[in-house]
Amino acid sequence: MSFGKLRYAAPALAGLGALGVLWLHWLVFFWVPTEASMGVVQRIFYIHVPSAWVAFFAFGIVAITGIMYLWLEDDRLDAAGVAAAEGGMVFTTAVLITGPLWGKIAWGTFWTWEPRLTLTLLLWFIYLGYFLVRRATDNPRQAKKFAAVVGIVGAADIPLIHISVAWLRSLHPQPVVMKPEGPTLDPHMLETLMVGLGSFTLLFLGLFVSRYLVEIAERKVALDERTAEAGATP
Amino acid sequence: METKPAPEAGDRAAGTADAAEAAPSPTQAGAAARVVAGPALEARDLRREFAGFPALDGVSFQLQPGELLTVFGPNGAGKTTLLRVLGGGLRPTSGEVRLAGEPVDVGERTWRARIGVLSHRGFLYDQLSAAENLRFYGDLFGLDALADRVREALAAVGLAGRADARVGSFSRGMRQRLALARALLHDPDVVLLDEPWTGLDAHAAGLLRDVLASLKDGRRAVVLVTHQLGEGLRLADHVAIQVRGRFATLEPRADVPGDGFEAYYREVVERAAAGAGTGGAEL
Amino acid sequence: MSGPAQERRTPSWARQVMAVVRKDLLVEFRTRERVASMGAFGVLVGVLFHYAIDPVAVRPQDVASGILWMTVLFAGILGVGRTFHLEDGDGAMSGLLHSPVALDALYVGKLIANVVLLWLIVALILVTFAAFFRVGLGPHPWAVIGILALGSFGFVALTTLFSAVSARTSMGESLLPVLVFPLLVPVIIFGVSATSRLMVARPLSEVAGNVRMLGAFALLAVAAGVTLFRFVVEE
Repeated sequence: MSFGKLRYAAPALAGLGALGVLWLHWLVFFWVPTEASMGVVQRIFYIHVPSAWVAFFAFGIVAITGIMYLWLEDDRLDAAGVAAAEGGMVFTTAVLITGPLWGKIAWGTFWTWEPRLTLTLLLWFIYLGYFLVRRATDNPRQAKKFAAVVGIVGAADIPLIHISVAWLRSLHPQPVVMKPEGPTLDPHMLETLMVGLGSFTLLFLGLFVSRYLVEIAERKVALDERTAEAGATP
Repeated sequence: METKPAPEAGDRAAGTADAAEAAPSPTQAGAAARVVAGPALEARDLRREFAGFPALDGVSFQLQPGELLTVFGPNGAGKTTLLRVLGGGLRPTSGEVRLAGEPVDVGERTWRARIGVLSHRGFLYDQLSAAENLRFYGDLFGLDALADRVREALAAVGLAGRADARVGSFSRGMRQRLALARALLHDPDVVLLDEPWTGLDAHAAGLLRDVLASLKDGRRAVVLVTHQLGEGLRLADHVAIQVRGRFATLEPRADVPGDGFEAYYREVVERAAAGAGTGGAEL
Repeated sequence: MSGPAQERRTPSWARQVMAVVRKDLLVEFRTRERVASMGAFGVLVGVLFHYAIDPVAVRPQDVASGILWMTVLFAGILGVGRTFHLEDGDGAMSGLLHSPVALDALYVGKLIANVVLLWLIVALILVTFAAFFRVGLGPHPWAVIGILALGSFGFVALTTLFSAVSARTSMGESLLPVLVFPLLVPVIIFGVSATSRLMVARPLSEVAGNVRMLGAFALLAVAAGVTLFRFVVEE
């Protein structure tokens, strides 16, 4: 991965993603049919689900770069982890905003303990821990290792958390949660969802690579400053 | 005096060590049955980078058994990094450490079993007795006949009578002696001293001086890192001044001015920093 | 006396684990700092909950299981979070890192000592709750105790790892709950539901799945601790 190529790839990806998101909005507002039982509000689903996909996809990158960082101690892996985590937290926040908006209108309450929504809330807190450990130590090498450990353990625990919240959910009375995905999904809806997933993924990858390049550049500047400083003051 | 690239500085030290190599110490001769005896401790072109920053930038030296190397240097020169690499806390990015001529992996646990570390902190537990502290470390080092060893170690530092007293009740001097017993309990081949004078008053510093002098018993190689020019010079067989990750100088004690060492030290540091400063632009 | 080239054996792993366990428990036995704070906390929470629950609106036995687990969790965070402060006083952590201790042995030793302490506290909390709320453990008291023991074991395994992280940050113990609570959701969900069912005399077979999940969590936490601990303590 050369720096130069990435520099052009990043805005290209982000630009494509942004165009895709614009197209998605056109589809959502003017093209896709209204879902019968939930009405217009169901259209937020095409933003909500792709955000959730990206939120978890990003955490996968955080965990994998974390494992590789502990193994190889290559600073670029940590920079990639930070970049993915920041993007991931943004999209996790998007899920947590769109979920209650949908919920309020669809079944009259801002918050339901719907397993995937609950899991996303916990994911948001795991991301928060990832950033807090980074900031809470002066030793940058330690910060990177701590963050990697938070990412890895979080990723390993997420399946267990999901099983537990889903299992608990199955005990409670079920509100009429529509599962719009599934075999009955209208082809127009499916197409819109695919556009959403594709464009959000592209947008995330563009932001991820850009953020990665900024992080690398910041570290290089800090290193240059430190080298110059070490030369100036005996 | 000018800034020397590290390998050259290393060669110079090797030259001074030739005489000692020709007449190996009795300890070495005993061990030579299985391995080729070399210098007790040798570092070859050690480098360590942190995120691209060379904290340790090519350090080499050789020590014969019983010799002590004092490393001086300004803050941020990489002295702590050097000690951490030698102490097994950090793997070098490149370079090699050799013990009695054999390369060792400083990241291995077996290496940590061969070094003793003494700093201004004792690494002791206040709530445990002197003997319990030593037994704990003895277990970690997997020592045999631990009870006897602990008794001997306490006797050697004059604490036999206080074996069962809690360390929390010890005076500063007693703690220091116990810390020494802890550092030497496993009979290390290499002893690392990390700023042992920090926070000591004149009296305690005097006690420590005697304690450290007893380390030079002809068997171990000792590396001392300190800011205390006088104390560091008094014990040294070799003197290094580390600046920006390199040994700007590495000389036998006899070649270093005893009077006016401070001025000499300053001159070396300033010249090395200035020289490296222009070179630093290429980094 | 050994020469520089003498081969040294690698010290025994089990002996190192036992040394750490013995040292931690001996220090705790002498100071009783952590047991005192955890124990007092557990009893005081019982007192406060007594006043926090209106018995007209809620029957204590309906909420006892949840309160029990939350008390164990908070008391545990309090005590386990301090496990690395034992090494702070005189730079002992440095001494450990310069010794040939296997870092997974250090983790396992700390884990065992912490588990012993927390199980003592769990016993105390159980007695307190039984006395304060007159809540029985149901027809299978040993199963309830076993589930609490298993759940708290997984909890301690995870918290010991992260207390090594929080102890080395400027935020200290205040960071620990933020790091571990989201990850502890499975322990709470499966633990609380298992004990509350047994306490209302449901059959043992109904909680077998919960026990398996608590076991899976404990395994995962120990595996994470054993493999990752060295990365958080190495300097």
